[in-house]
Amino acid sequence: MNDQFLIDKARENLKEKIVEITNPARRRIFLEVGIDDLLASVSWLKNDLGFTHLSTISGVDLGETFEVIYHFANNYCCLNIRVKIPRDNPLLPSICELIPGAILYEREIKEMFGLTVQNIPDGRPLLLPDDWPAGNYPLRKDWKYERPPEVIPGGEK
Amino acid sequence: MNFQIPIGPQHPALKEPIGLRITVEGEIIRDADIRLGYNHRGIEKLAEQKTWIQNVYLTERICGICSHSHTTCYVQGVEKLMELETPKRGLYIRMLISELERIHSHLLWLGVAGHEAGFDSFFMYVWRDREIVMDILETISGNRVHYAINTIGGVRRDLDELQVKRILDSLEVLRRRSQYYLNLGTTEPSFVARLARVGYLSREDALSLCAVGPTLRASGVPMDVRKDDPYAAYDEVPFEVCTAGTCDVLGRTVVRIKELFQSYNIIEYLMKNLPTGPIAVRAPRRAKPNEVVSRYEAPRGENLHYIKSNGSDKPERLKVRAPTLGNYAATIKMLKNGFIADVPLIFAAIDPCICCAERAVALIDARTGQEKIMSLKSLKELSLKVSPTTTRKREIEWPL
Repeated sequence: MNDQFLIDKARENLKEKIVEITNPARRRIFLEVGIDDLLASVSWLKNDLGFTHLSTISGVDLGETFEVIYHFANNYCCLNIRVKIPRDNPLLPSICELIPGAILYEREIKEMFGLTVQNIPDGRPLLLPDDWPAGNYPLRKDWKYERPPEVIPGGEK
Repeated sequence: MNFQIPIGPQHPALKEPIGLRITVEGEIIRDADIRLGYNHRGIEKLAEQKTWIQNVYLTERICGICSHSHTTCYVQGVEKLMELETPKRGLYIRMLISELERIHSHLLWLGVAGHEAGFDSFFMYVWRDREIVMDILETISGNRVHYAINTIGGVRRDLDELQVKRILDSLEVLRRRSQYYLNLGTTEPSFVARLARVGYLSREDALSLCAVGPTLRASGVPMDVRKDDPYAAYDEVPFEVCTAGTCDVLGRTVVRIKELFQSYNIIEYLMKNLPTGPIAVRAPRRAKPNEVVSRYEAPRGENLHYIKSNGSDKPERLKVRAPTLGNYAATIKMLKNGFIADVPLIFAAIDPCICCAERAVALIDARTGQEKIMSLKSLKELSLKVSPTTTRKREIEWPL
């Protein structure tokens, strides 16, 4: 199994679902698919090629769209599936049915970017505190941290 | 009847803050839940506001034990973005530090495992030997914890003849003592009885829950980034991927002790074949718009950094996935149907490195088993509300 073999396999199986496929370095493949084809692509990757290990899910704020990258790895290659979702309707299907280990990464991306993960088995907050104000998504580019004014208990009013 | 027991965020059995909520039926754990965030520092957001070179020192501070893992993972990604060719000697020194770090981390873990299993003399022996490694690291880099040896384009400090000799001499001592620990760890009846069949994680579960590192390898899956996706000069160095088939804490112990020997061999090879030449090249201040996925085998497992550049002197995005996060889902699986007394041992067995946990307090009504989560703020309000009605100590009538 090498990079060219995987690219050929992807072209053969996913056909018109592929938006773009690149191979910028050895053992690195970036495969872009439409958001509706995400589950089909992950299922193909897992069942036909045996990529069971999801390293993590990265999110990038591109302004108008969010880019979500699923980093898969096996003993030969690191294959990254990229999807783009619009900012005004950030819906992402959950892949936990296929890859149960994705749950923590989905919970993380959900609260950090404010994406709606459909059918997520467990959607509670993971990293942010329980009294975190709603509508604040720290990793969005337009979110800025403002340090609250320091109040010394018992100090001057 | 089920009871829920909160363990942590601050708990004597855990070394770092993490919130575990465990549902027990008698002594048996039926369910476990993990809450992170207690020590979340927003490093990914901070990294977007710092320059490429500042971020080397920021990523160093993600973790106190695998500090070199994070910088190496970051630096080799940035070198790809900047299209730099790192000199061979620099790569060898980088690999030397990462193997020394693996040894000190595994020795530290072995000590903790001994301590959690109630074998404290093992803990003291192992940590004595860990000092040998710490001393080597100090002579090379000047620091015991944050080595600060990496820079974009190579390393910051060179090795001399005397240091090489000293490293090779220390390896002899470490090899001899590790052999003793291997014999002890695998044959001492009470130690083996405490570790065997605790925290079972089958091969299928380890794969489907995306476990990493020694936890995965102890379930019989030979996955190691150094072998699968060789970075630095790992494709030149002979070594083996260590696995165990027992799928329990004993297997994880054996895998780590075996990896110690592999690391000694790697260091010996590196020191005997150390290339001559420069240790670093000059790096530009900016990187062209591009993206890179950098993987690294930290002592705890696969470490992944996703770096995206936008042409400026700061990264557009730096995503860090530390190995411990990858192992949490598997830990919950391991805890289920185990004994409550095994919690510290199972939890320690993934070698957790926590910069996370929770800010809430779990209140459990023991009679109904119902659980309420209260934030610290509402808890404070409750205490203020209750206190005016309760009798103060000084107003109590003395009974005698």
